[in-house]
Amino acid sequence: MRFFIDALYNALSLVLGFDPEVYLVVWTSLKVSGIATFLASFVGIPLGTLLALKQFRGKQAVLLILNTLMALPTVVVGLFFYALLTRQGPLGDLGLLFTPEGIALGLFVLALPIVVNLTLAAVQGMDPRVFVTCKLLGATPAQQAWMIMREARFAVMAAVVMAFGRVISEVGIAMMLGGNIKGFTRTMTTAIALETSKGEFELGLALGILLMAVAFVVNALLFFIQRSRG
Amino acid sequence: MTPVYRMEHVSFRYGECPVLDVSSLEILPGEIVALAGPNGAGKTTLLHLMAFVESPSNGDIFFFDEKLRHDNIISLRRRVGLLLQNPYLFHTTVIGNLLWGLKLRGCSRTTARDKALRSLRSVGLSGFEYRDARKLSGGETQRVALARALALDPDVLLLDEPANHMDRESIRRTFEIVRDINTKHGTSIVLTTHDIPKVQHLVNRVIHLRGGTVVPSLPENLFPGRLSEDGMAFDTGKILVRLPDRAAEGSQVAVDPTKVRISTSLPGSPGPNSFHGTVVSLKSGNGTASIHIDAGERFQVVARADSPLISDLHLGREVWIMLPSDSISVF
Repeated sequence: MRFFIDALYNALSLVLGFDPEVYLVVWTSLKVSGIATFLASFVGIPLGTLLALKQFRGKQAVLLILNTLMALPTVVVGLFFYALLTRQGPLGDLGLLFTPEGIALGLFVLALPIVVNLTLAAVQGMDPRVFVTCKLLGATPAQQAWMIMREARFAVMAAVVMAFGRVISEVGIAMMLGGNIKGFTRTMTTAIALETSKGEFELGLALGILLMAVAFVVNALLFFIQRSRG
Repeated sequence: MTPVYRMEHVSFRYGECPVLDVSSLEILPGEIVALAGPNGAGKTTLLHLMAFVESPSNGDIFFFDEKLRHDNIISLRRRVGLLLQNPYLFHTTVIGNLLWGLKLRGCSRTTARDKALRSLRSVGLSGFEYRDARKLSGGETQRVALARALALDPDVLLLDEPANHMDRESIRRTFEIVRDINTKHGTSIVLTTHDIPKVQHLVNRVIHLRGGTVVPSLPENLFPGRLSEDGMAFDTGKILVRLPDRAAEGSQVAVDPTKVRISTSLPGSPGPNSFHGTVVSLKSGNGTASIHIDAGERFQVVARADSPLISDLHLGREVWIMLPSDSISVF
């Protein structure tokens, strides 16, 4: 117990002392997760809306695949992109392996099915009168989709937050595609794994506290937005 | 005169289930028409076809002689205003709800705002502009939705059961607005109702629907049976109705309740279709009275509430009813 209390005290000192190494790791994590979530939202929200609104052959198969992708193991994504991005791989010339951009690419693939699926569920669960109201006001299909996305914004925002939570807390992709290079691709989760294995429990715990704090702040923001506008 | 709507052999089905089959229907400019019928008669479906939010499975719809096609559906839709029975307001302010439709039509910010404010004023909701649209009462929601439709200056205004979900004052106000738009701008109005007496004073014409088809009279006075006396009479099993002309076929007789005459004593020269009966229900409102008379079959009669005869009627009162020849149709 003494060990845990000492470790917690040292961790808090690192956090409150604004240790540059700790905050560089936090910044890298926020950067790659932010880019991945932004891109996944940019692609996933319209795609989810479209999938919810359109009827086409093979829709059920697409939904089944998307549902499966929600449970995608992060090491599988890491392995797959490692094979693509490695020097001998088909995308090796891009030089993305062991870069923050490489991590962001892997995280984007992890976040995309979450954003698509939850947007789709949000649109499908909307009050059916919204669809006929958009139509009768004379909206074109694109304008209808835009208005429907706006109406579903709180549920869609929750989807984005969930995707962000998933990518910021994963370790497999960041480790395999980032390589855990200090000061460059080291993220909070890879640093926690590394420092703990090295016996640097305080640093690992400090990063764990910050990871929880980031998750809390993001969820608190969503909560307050929903309360004030809902 | 070019009709606002002309429908030819229009049918609509949900999947395999047919819900509407209208062989011919016209709505003229400036008319206020009620689509009447019980629940499931196809009124709302017909209204949605008129608003172009649904397309017919078969047949043609002409709007001011312009045929509905796949490529003009949105432009036609933008010329029609539809007030849903239970309207949906977007998660924004009241004025935000009105501005969206105007922006879709390319209105400038200033023009859109002016139109929205004018429209809110016309429904008595000045000062509501920045209220949260989702926190309004049912009557206010209905009026904001009406203002949203009116702000778009539609050629036709369609109202789905406007007298439902509203208190008496809101109904009165809505009808006043509707009549005003019709008088000032000549806007054609089509509304649905399952309670004709409530809208009788407002409308010029009633189109009756039953089972998805247009029928010649109120469903309340629709009696099944068979032709008899070589097509000169119709036997409902309880009464025999003499027909004005020989009918070749028909399985139902319809009697227009607005044309049935009532007398408290036996008429001096009773016509061929005079029946003795008893008043079993009596309702009045909005200037009309609805009387149900059990005369073998249960007849509904609609009359002006201020007619002297109405004050003589009470439950259980014995009366005579006469069915004029132009009130009877067989189909």
